[in-house]
Amino acid sequence: MTFMPQYFSAMVAKNGYPPWYSAFESFYPRRLKKRLDDCFAIPIHGVPGRYINCYNRATPDYNETFLYDGTSRPSLNLSSYNYLGFAQSVGICTDDAVSTVKKYGLSSCGPRNVIGNTDLHVYTEKILSRFLGKEDSVVFSMGWGTNAHLFTSMVNTKCLVISDSLNHSSIRFGIRLSGAAVKVFPHNDMDALEKILREAISQGQAKSHRPYKKIFVCVEGLYSMEGTYCNLPALVALREKYKFYLFVDEAHSIGALGANGRGICEYYNIDPNRVDILMGTLTKSFGAAGGYVSGNKKVIERLRLDITSNTYGESMPPAVLQQIATSMRIIAGELNGNEGKERLQRIAFNSRYLRLGLKRLGFIIYGADDSPVIPLLLYNPCKMPGFCRKMLQHGVAVVIVGYPATDIISSRIRFCMSAALTKEDIDKILAICADIGDTLNLKFSSGIAGGERNPGDWKKGIRPRWSIEEVLAKTPEDCKKKTIY
Amino acid sequence: MSTAAALEQTESSNFLVGLAYKANEVWADLIEFLAKLPGGAIIINYIKASHKNDPWRTILEALLALFAIKYFLASRYSQDERDKMLLSGRETEELIEEWIPKPLVPEIRSDEQWQMDTNPLINGPVTKKVEVQHHDGSVSDDVLNFASLDFLGMSMEKRVVDESIGCIRDVGVGACGPPNFYGTQSVHVRFCEDIAKFLGAEDSIIYGQDFSTPISVLPCFLKRGDIVIVDGGANLALQKAALISRCHIEWFNHNDLDHLQEILESLSEDLEQGPLNRRFIVTEGLSENFGDSPDLKKLVEIKNKYKFRLILDESTSIGTLGDNGRGLAEVYGIPRSEVEITIGSMARAFGASGGFCVGDKDMIYHQILTSNAYVFSASLPPYVAKASSTVLQLLTENEKENQVNPYIQPLKENSHYLHSLFSTSKELQKYITVKSCNYSPSLHIRLNPEIRKQLGLPESYGGPGSIISKAVKNGNEELYFDPFYNLECFKLQEIINDCVDSKVLPSRTKRILHHELLPVVPEIIFHLTSRHTKKDLDHAYFTVSKAIIDCVDNWKAKGNQLQTY
Repeated sequence: MTFMPQYFSAMVAKNGYPPWYSAFESFYPRRLKKRLDDCFAIPIHGVPGRYINCYNRATPDYNETFLYDGTSRPSLNLSSYNYLGFAQSVGICTDDAVSTVKKYGLSSCGPRNVIGNTDLHVYTEKILSRFLGKEDSVVFSMGWGTNAHLFTSMVNTKCLVISDSLNHSSIRFGIRLSGAAVKVFPHNDMDALEKILREAISQGQAKSHRPYKKIFVCVEGLYSMEGTYCNLPALVALREKYKFYLFVDEAHSIGALGANGRGICEYYNIDPNRVDILMGTLTKSFGAAGGYVSGNKKVIERLRLDITSNTYGESMPPAVLQQIATSMRIIAGELNGNEGKERLQRIAFNSRYLRLGLKRLGFIIYGADDSPVIPLLLYNPCKMPGFCRKMLQHGVAVVIVGYPATDIISSRIRFCMSAALTKEDIDKILAICADIGDTLNLKFSSGIAGGERNPGDWKKGIRPRWSIEEVLAKTPEDCKKKTIY
Repeated sequence: MSTAAALEQTESSNFLVGLAYKANEVWADLIEFLAKLPGGAIIINYIKASHKNDPWRTILEALLALFAIKYFLASRYSQDERDKMLLSGRETEELIEEWIPKPLVPEIRSDEQWQMDTNPLINGPVTKKVEVQHHDGSVSDDVLNFASLDFLGMSMEKRVVDESIGCIRDVGVGACGPPNFYGTQSVHVRFCEDIAKFLGAEDSIIYGQDFSTPISVLPCFLKRGDIVIVDGGANLALQKAALISRCHIEWFNHNDLDHLQEILESLSEDLEQGPLNRRFIVTEGLSENFGDSPDLKKLVEIKNKYKFRLILDESTSIGTLGDNGRGLAEVYGIPRSEVEITIGSMARAFGASGGFCVGDKDMIYHQILTSNAYVFSASLPPYVAKASSTVLQLLTENEKENQVNPYIQPLKENSHYLHSLFSTSKELQKYITVKSCNYSPSLHIRLNPEIRKQLGLPESYGGPGSIISKAVKNGNEELYFDPFYNLECFKLQEIINDCVDSKVLPSRTKRILHHELLPVVPEIIFHLTSRHTKKDLDHAYFTVSKAIIDCVDNWKAKGNQLQTY
């Protein structure tokens, strides 16, 4: 900074103005993030479906600026949130969206409670409620904003929110905005949660010891960085005993989980009405944008009046609503016959196949067997750009995740599975991963997570790590078995 | 001494000697173990040397070491631990049994139900004329719409719609990813360039929702210890943004720059001595709540004098103010670089959706890394970016020097015309005051202070020190309901209902008291668009003034009763 002030202009006080951000605040971005900036925010064009078209770019000054030559190349897309493959520019969804734009224009022209409440909103909310098995729902134009503005309408300073340690940033933001007391329990640790609950109810608020007015427990259905589910059966049982309100964020699980795509409740075969508030986003499985909140009729009616983004913020644009309505009807089997079922089966197969294949190759993979989010652990942050660049060279686009989304020493690759991919694509991805895994020394696991080759091998001391040929030959069948290891 | 006692003593001393022997052994083992550790020999040497010089020092150091161990092992929340009551398992069980939580949200009261029922439901597109479906299922069609924020009528503009459809056909509807992970489409990048160029700024960033933009931008730059001075009429998004930043907040009277200067003067001594923290003034280009603007020229002078930075929320003013829709800065001929952070909305004059922020490069780069709504959220649907780019193209293409842009010209004329109609009528002035300025595309009308006094209404609702703000502080959700606010809003809604019967649909302030930090006065609001004609405005003026007079006379005659709906 002292030697080359020209590179640090944003961090130095200038004629009486403080810097935009302090040198300490920006240590990580400058010293680590900048070095791998070429792996982030790559501009794309076209549909982010099976293939994604990334623009080629070069950097003459270590990621300070990028130069584009206007060319791009398609890569297999394991990076977009496109679980059911509804990111399309052809087909009935797009046709519907286009005709909606023709009829309704681009915008709803104002907040929901002022003018932007059209028949299309009502129609979409009805379909959504039916899909979720809840009495009523309300949609918002931004997923992050849904969580950020929801909690101020449900909890106040005399309430307690107990939040999973890995909850998404938008939930934490929303809770912070509401001013409620917060306690955090370790990820999916139900014993710790029960301990906190017992203590919170018996001890009451800090200092005054008055009982809390309400207690909320906030979890996510499917954790986007871990690929794990919440333990919903245990949570529902605890809810009955301790009378707290249960909030489940289904941002990633809705559409992607369960035999009919109805999310975590269907996956565990639990009545959705045993969860008080179901929240989710419409970006991921439906190829649209925005979020929803779903609950009992009385609750939702109050929230309609009370949630700030419903009264002050823009309402959801028509084309997005139509995309949601049509794609949801396809998933529910009301349109296009078996298309929805097929998509659901395809994503289930794809997720299991890639996950089991990677495990057998000896990678460390987090998460549950059926989860469409497949995190491959790299640990060392220096391996992030290596993996990403190599994958791009081979024509596969993946997302690398590091600090602040995870710990700095548990950096990972996140494969987002999609129904748009075929078995051949996954074969290809497995082969590339096997190759890169050797180069970057990523195969830390013995391969036991993928099961033994022959029963009893493990006791004999045989490490069941598979070669790529074996994986490709056997895994597609193995992963269809009901329970895998 | 008896032999038995002596025997006992020797036995106990034997035991003590044994113990000492054992302790010595353990000690020797410990030393041996320590010596094996890397660097252990150095520690032993050090202890030996220091013990020889000063045995007390060894004791003191041992105590210090013990204290350090205890300190690190102690719970981080030991303060809370001490505060806790000791409860047996059964008592805890009983307390859990006994605890009854408040309902998830307070139920809608019967005298509040009308708010749900009167929310207009539009069948079909929201354009100049809309079809309103009432709660009872009946329909009024061809209602003149004065409630939409689509000021330039861009939502249905043919070229914008065509370009958007082309974009949907090209890339689909959703962006399917956060901007940092393959969610940035070429159209997003293009729009960022376009809006920065249009406003004359270095760089820009786009967000998925206009209401979430300020709440995410401000906390990037305001942390504990920083100072922000906010306009006392700021919209809710700015209020919440300032609140969540947890910085030091000062409020200056709405658009009262003298008061602002007073505050700055009173702060300046502290500021000079204190550390160089980040300091901002936050205000709006065109106030969402009042429909007026600050004197930007003076504001810029003041902020430069005191070395504050300016955050200007131009959500409503971009596209509506200035000859070419470049906002308040264009009106005052001030370069955009003088406004450090500009926040805008694509959901209003641009007729699309989403929000944006423009400013210098370093500031935007910091947002790309740390702004919560940008990093942790999916990007805006690409077709929206395309539509907004097309709007900017339309505006710049039709630009002529020293002339008002033809897209904005009708809006300006409409604003001035309707404002003059309402503010010059002698008859109406007995009932209402027009709060907004004549250049504002939103006309704010509130009841005359005298009438409100006659009706026994308070000067304003909510705000610092009110019952509501106390209820919010204490978490008393039952007290969030203000009967007078409800009554006045209900009466204004009755005026609107009358208007809808005559095919005019104005809006009213729909603000939620317990969210607002500032006092609120209910108003009737007309949002004008470029599409409205003089005839429409005449009709609206005639209808609304009649409805107001009828309603208020009726109200005076019958007193403060809320007829159930």
